[in-house]
Amino acid sequence: MSRVVIWSFLLACFVGLSPTSVAFAADTVCIECHGGQPGPLGAPIAEWRTSVHAQNGISCHDCHGGDPTDFASAMEPEQGFLGAPDYSDVPAFCGRCHVGVAEAYQSGAHGQAIESGGAQCVVCHGNHAIQKPGLELINEENCSQCHSYDRAALIRLSLVETDTMVAKVGEDLERLYRLGFAVDEMQGTLFNQRNLFHRIFHGVDVERVRQETAAVQAEVGKISNEVAEIDATVGQRKLWGSVVIGLFVLAGVIFMLVRKAYEEEEKGGG
Amino acid sequence: MQPIKIQPIKMLVDFIDLRLGVKDLYTKELNGYLLPKNVNAWYTLGAVLVVLFKLQIITGILLLMFYVPDAEKAFASVQYIVNEVPFGWLFRMLHAIGANVIVIALLLHMLSVLFMGSYKGRREFTWLSGFIIFNLTMGLCLTGYLLPWSQLSFWATTVATDAAGAIPVVGDYLVEFLRGGPTVGNQTLGRFFALHVVGMPLVLLGLIGVHLFCVKRRGISSPPFGPDYSGNEDLPFFEHEKHPGGIPFFPNYFVKDAAVICFFMAFLLAIIFYAPGLFFPESAFQPADPFLTPPHIKPEWYFLWAYQTLKIFPSEIVGLGVQGVFMTFLALLPFIDRGPERRPGKRPLFVTCYVLGILLFVAISVWGHYS
Repeated sequence: MSRVVIWSFLLACFVGLSPTSVAFAADTVCIECHGGQPGPLGAPIAEWRTSVHAQNGISCHDCHGGDPTDFASAMEPEQGFLGAPDYSDVPAFCGRCHVGVAEAYQSGAHGQAIESGGAQCVVCHGNHAIQKPGLELINEENCSQCHSYDRAALIRLSLVETDTMVAKVGEDLERLYRLGFAVDEMQGTLFNQRNLFHRIFHGVDVERVRQETAAVQAEVGKISNEVAEIDATVGQRKLWGSVVIGLFVLAGVIFMLVRKAYEEEEKGGG
Repeated sequence: MQPIKIQPIKMLVDFIDLRLGVKDLYTKELNGYLLPKNVNAWYTLGAVLVVLFKLQIITGILLLMFYVPDAEKAFASVQYIVNEVPFGWLFRMLHAIGANVIVIALLLHMLSVLFMGSYKGRREFTWLSGFIIFNLTMGLCLTGYLLPWSQLSFWATTVATDAAGAIPVVGDYLVEFLRGGPTVGNQTLGRFFALHVVGMPLVLLGLIGVHLFCVKRRGISSPPFGPDYSGNEDLPFFEHEKHPGGIPFFPNYFVKDAAVICFFMAFLLAIIFYAPGLFFPESAFQPADPFLTPPHIKPEWYFLWAYQTLKIFPSEIVGLGVQGVFMTFLALLPFIDRGPERRPGKRPLFVTCYVLGILLFVAISVWGHYS
């Protein structure tokens, strides 16, 4: 028996890794049922698959409620099923997760005008196919649906510098993370600052945006300095690494030359 | 009166020689140990591998000083090594990337032995011990893969141990035996850790000893090229293959060993400093999460051929069987290929299979990577 086990283990080592066991979390009953339906009942599934929510494992039931494991009770209100919210209920619907943004929104002009048709989340962000938002969402075409673009343009202008800074530091941290540096704490701080930043402009108040982005910039600047220090360390390592690599190559070449001298000697001797 | 010259090095050598006979050892085993005249650079790969294995032992011991083999602490301990321990990042990189370079050197070593037919001439034990070393190294790579307890570690081990489940009758028991439980967990980490740092290295050291003994006892085979090559003659008794008039191992050939070792070290360091992410996908930096399967998880490059082979066949057991047959054939090759001819030019069938085999390995691996 033990021989069988040992050989089986070796066989397992030979054959390596099987792909068939790699499986994603099972599809929920929502996806199984709606995914096969034509028209508006099935379309949200295809749209959702392209979304930032899908990328982060946020599924139908996380927003719409219900029991994602049971066909029969999946859409029972008793199971917490909410369905599609009314137009004016959307901010509260999304705000269950995006708490800070919802607060800022509700205190701003858009939120105050919700009952009279003021813009809510899906007007700018869309619904099921929602993507990671960027400043490109604030554009003349979108904003002019309801009002002139002037004030929105000012807000966008105030945001550009901070947005670029946050994005750049985010990329730097990702790069350092891929090099094995422990940047979790900095990523956490950046995450908080990014959220704060997103919160600020949902209030659509130009003055407030200007004041509060300065504070965000200061915090992100601190992270940027830490990144610069780590980059300097990486640069030093590369420099010393290059020297050692050069020494090994040089030693290799010298050994080859010595070997060549021996070869001459061997030919002469032979 | 002549002044007395004090030569401390000579005195030391004489002191040791009187007790251990090192001068005689030098004459017999180093300067007097002759290699074939037409010996080439491929013969240095054995020495390269010895150095790389030593590097693994040294860096492994250094990592062992800080690593904690506990599922709750393993990932954090590796983070600590890389970020806090002085030069910890270097030891870790040398160990992890060094393992990949060892696999490259092993493959080159085996391919050169195959191409030159060096497994012939009653060298079955040399080949077989080398083949087992190769597989044991794969085992070391597999067990070492789990230790950082990252998402990659966890899921690669889950998938690898799952594969054993396809073996009829004992499959399920084997999976549980490998994992120490129904799923990969702390108990799996414990046994993989023990195997990786004690069990397998001990067996490996023993096997390397056996391999070197076989090489030394039977004698180095001559490369099957050029006018200096003379074919093998299978005598009905044991004979050590000598190379009268050959090249002294030390210092004549040793410098070539040293040169190739230096180039391999430069190659290893170049990856560490210029392409450190080459062998580390994103999931290697995330702590293990048994409830979240990362997308696109792929095995290390040297297991890709096996990974893809399992996908090609309709059932896992067929794929496993094909791999088992192939590996068994390779292990027993010297017992199957009995012909004395070693010159590649005179072995067209073998060379064709050899080239097609390499192309197939590369093609299936690339396919596996992009599938």
